[in-house]
Order: sequence, then structure tokens, then C-alpha cells
Amino acid sequence: MNVMTVVERDVSETRSKMDARGVQVWYGDKHALKDVDVAILDRTVTAFIGPSGCGKSTFLRCLNRMNDTVASARVMGKMTMDGQDIYDPRVDPVQLRAKVGMVFQKPNPFPKSIYDNVAYGPKIHGLARTKAELDEIVETALKKAALWNEVKDRLAAPGTGLSGGQQQRLCIARAIATSPEVLLMDEPCSALDPIATAQVEELIDELRAHFTVVIVTHSMQQAARVSQRTAFFHLGNLVEYGETGQIFTNPRDPRTEAYITGRIG
Amino acid sequence: MTQPHIISSFDRDLEAVQALLMRMGGLVESAILDAAEALEMRDEGLALKVRDGDKAIDALEQQIHSECARLLALRAPTASDLRIVLTVMRVAAALERCGDYAKNLAKRSLILAHMSPLGGTTGSVCRMAKTAVLRLKDSLDAFIGRDKVLAADIRDRDRDIDQMYNSLFRELLTHMLEDPRAISPAMHLHFIAKNIERVGDHATSVAEQVIFLVTGEVPEEERPKADATATTSRSTEE
Repeated sequence: MNVMTVVERDVSETRSKMDARGVQVWYGDKHALKDVDVAILDRTVTAFIGPSGCGKSTFLRCLNRMNDTVASARVMGKMTMDGQDIYDPRVDPVQLRAKVGMVFQKPNPFPKSIYDNVAYGPKIHGLARTKAELDEIVETALKKAALWNEVKDRLAAPGTGLSGGQQQRLCIARAIATSPEVLLMDEPCSALDPIATAQVEELIDELRAHFTVVIVTHSMQQAARVSQRTAFFHLGNLVEYGETGQIFTNPRDPRTEAYITGRIG
Repeated sequence: MTQPHIISSFDRDLEAVQALLMRMGGLVESAILDAAEALEMRDEGLALKVRDGDKAIDALEQQIHSECARLLALRAPTASDLRIVLTVMRVAAALERCGDYAKNLAKRSLILAHMSPLGGTTGSVCRMAKTAVLRLKDSLDAFIGRDKVLAADIRDRDRDIDQMYNSLFRELLTHMLEDPRAISPAMHLHFIAKNIERVGDHATSVAEQVIFLVTGEVPEEERPKADATATTSRSTEE
């Protein structure tokens, strides 16, 4: 047993939400991801860390088939969600992305009102039959994103008029409005100040009660703060994947050690 | 890990706390040896020097503690770097206790200097002190050399000090039974011996910290013990 494990951090959840087996990705001739096996646990925050170009974002984008939109990308291997192959030709990628939401590095609200930003997804997926239902979805999503109190009196104001941190929480609200099961976050705090970062991190921890969260981050401290499981990628390989406390106190692989302690890897 | 950090001042900070710890270790080792010599040679001047020297050891521990706190706050060390800081803090605490034992030995030697000797017991105490200091020195060498083999060896060698303590305990008991006037010096010598035995225990725990530092795991298996005095009674008398 790892003596450094903080009890609160114990990942009691052992059910796998998404499974990747032997995943390989090529961008043209470039072998971006080499034979990655990962089981992403349900209702757990999983952090992907690693230097630029290590394949962590590539892998994240495989999880909701965002790489489909890149012409030169080829994805091989097996990827399942709740046991179902997400690359099955019968799977509609649009429906998949409703289940596997995504939040990007820079806040990118639509040039619409705060309300419409959140209502957009539920509308196009037909999740609300009446205006009252839609209002409720918007309110719930904004509350879950810890933004409701700050915007409830100006829902008609443009989303782009909010501060950076508020915009990012709006994007999170937009992502969770379609009731996804998995939330992918690609460096969600890199454009935010420390206070807004702390608010988003607190939010991520709360989201864990309802969603499976996967976060790509360049901040190792952030990975250490918010995640229960950490995966370290290096040169397209998944080097080490384990409980976050173990990765940061006693990594098994010397490459992980060199990276997280800030040595030349 | 010999590879340097990208931020070289991080390396300098880590080396600095370890250098402080080694200086503290050197002070503690000579304090114990000097105190033992003061006891054996009835050298009151040396005993006073050891007694007053403990302040420097305590101050070093304080300094190490605040440097480690700074390191934790400013560098947020992880993995082996974190283990270095944690180990330095624990070893410093152990050394501080050993310094206190040396001071106590010095104080008791000042009292014993005015009492008649009890056979060869003083010599036995000094031999025990030298063995304990050697153990401490070895464990600090294991720390600097990141030598888990030496550390494991130290951990297994705790038995010899325990055995020396056992035989001294019996010897002191015999003196006290033979002559009630021996009780006062024998009690002082016994406390000294007990404290030296504790120095040995601290050396063992330093060695355990070294194993943690190198491997990331605290050794769990039972280590050999030979201190039987807790179950020794007057029946040990022939």
C-alpha cells in the first residue's frame, strides 16, 4: 500500500467509463500516439500531463472523435464507452459529442446572450419541449457551473461581455447543459487568473459527483490539486498511469520522475 | 537522481538544507563523543562545553525547519525532491533529540565526577556511546550516499547496542544490590545508558528514513530487537 495516499483521495470508484486499448494515432506520417491503453474511471477526475507534443491532447480528442475533423489523422485501436465501441460506423459522432462534452483552452462563448449560449445544445438536441423546461435546464447548468448567482439578473446580456473566468464557466455550463456523461477539458484554466482558476478547479471537483472528467493540463500542480488519477504521456507513449498521490510522491518510471520534478526529461 | 533541475536554484536550495543537516549531524556526533569523554576522564570543562553547545544544535534544527518550510512553499517539491525535504525534516528532529541526550549525559557527568566510580561501568558506557555514534554516522553517510543497502544493514545491527545496554543494566543492578551507596551513581549511569540506547534507536530511524528516501516505501517488516530489560527482574542476579 502506498503510505502517501490521503484517504479523501482514495478512488473508491473502480468502474471504467471509457476504455482505450492499443490506440494509435497518425497525423500523416507522424506517429502521434503509440499503443495507448487506458481505463478512464467513472465519476473520477483524470488528468493527462506531459510536455508539449506528447500526445495528451491528441488522446483527449480521440475520446469524442474530434480527430475525425482532422483530414490527415488516422485513429487505430479500440475505444469504448460503457462497453460500446465509439468508433463503430453506426455511432453518430454528433450524438457521441453530446455525451462526451468538451471545454477548450480559451473561453469561446458564442456571440449570443448568456442564456442562448447555454440553451443552444439542449435546443439542437431537442432536450426541452417547452420554454419552461429549457429555462430550467439553463438555470441548472449555470448553477452547476457556479455561475448562476453572478449572471441570473442579466441572462440576456452577451456572453462575450463576461470576464475571462466567467466566460470559461459559461463554456462549462454550455458543455454540461446537454447532460453529458463525460467532460473533456483541454487546459481549461490556462487563460485564467489564479482566482478564476481556483473557482474552475473547485467546480471540477464538484462536477465529479455527476460526470467523468478528463483534463489536460500543463500545470502539474493543477493536476495534483484536482485529479484522482494521473496519466503521464511522453513522445506519444503513455508512460505511467496511476493514483495521483502515488504519481506525485513516488512515481514508478524515471521519466515521470524527471518530468514532475522539473528535470530535463 | 543525479540529473539536475532545469531551475538550478532549486538544486542549490535542496543542497543547502542537506548541508545544514550534515553540519548538525557533525555537531551531534562530537557532542556525544565529548560528553562520553567528559564522563570517562571526569573532565568538567568538556562537560560544560557540551552542555552549552546544545544551543547551536537547536538553532540549526530551527534553521533547517524554516528552510524546509520555505522550500515546500516556494518550490512545491514532488517525488524524490519531496522525499528529500520530508527526510531532512525528520532526520533533523532525530538529531535534535540526540543532541539533548548528549547534553543530559554532560550534565550527569558533572554530578558523577564527584562520586566514586562503579567498577568498569563508565568504560562500558563510553564504549556504548562510541558504538551509537558510529551507527549515527553510518546512517548519515547512507543518507548522503543514498545507500539503501547500508541503511538496511544499520537497521539490522541495532541488536549490539541493545545487548550492551542489557549487560550494563545487569551490572548496575548488581552494584546497587551490593552497596546502597552505589544507587545514586548507578541510577545516573543507567539514565545515561538508556539515553545512549535511544541514540541507537534514532540512528535506526534515520536509516529507515534513508530507505524511504531511496525507495519511496517505509520498511515494514519487524526488525530484530534485543532489549530485554523491560522483562528483566532481580532474578537475573546470580
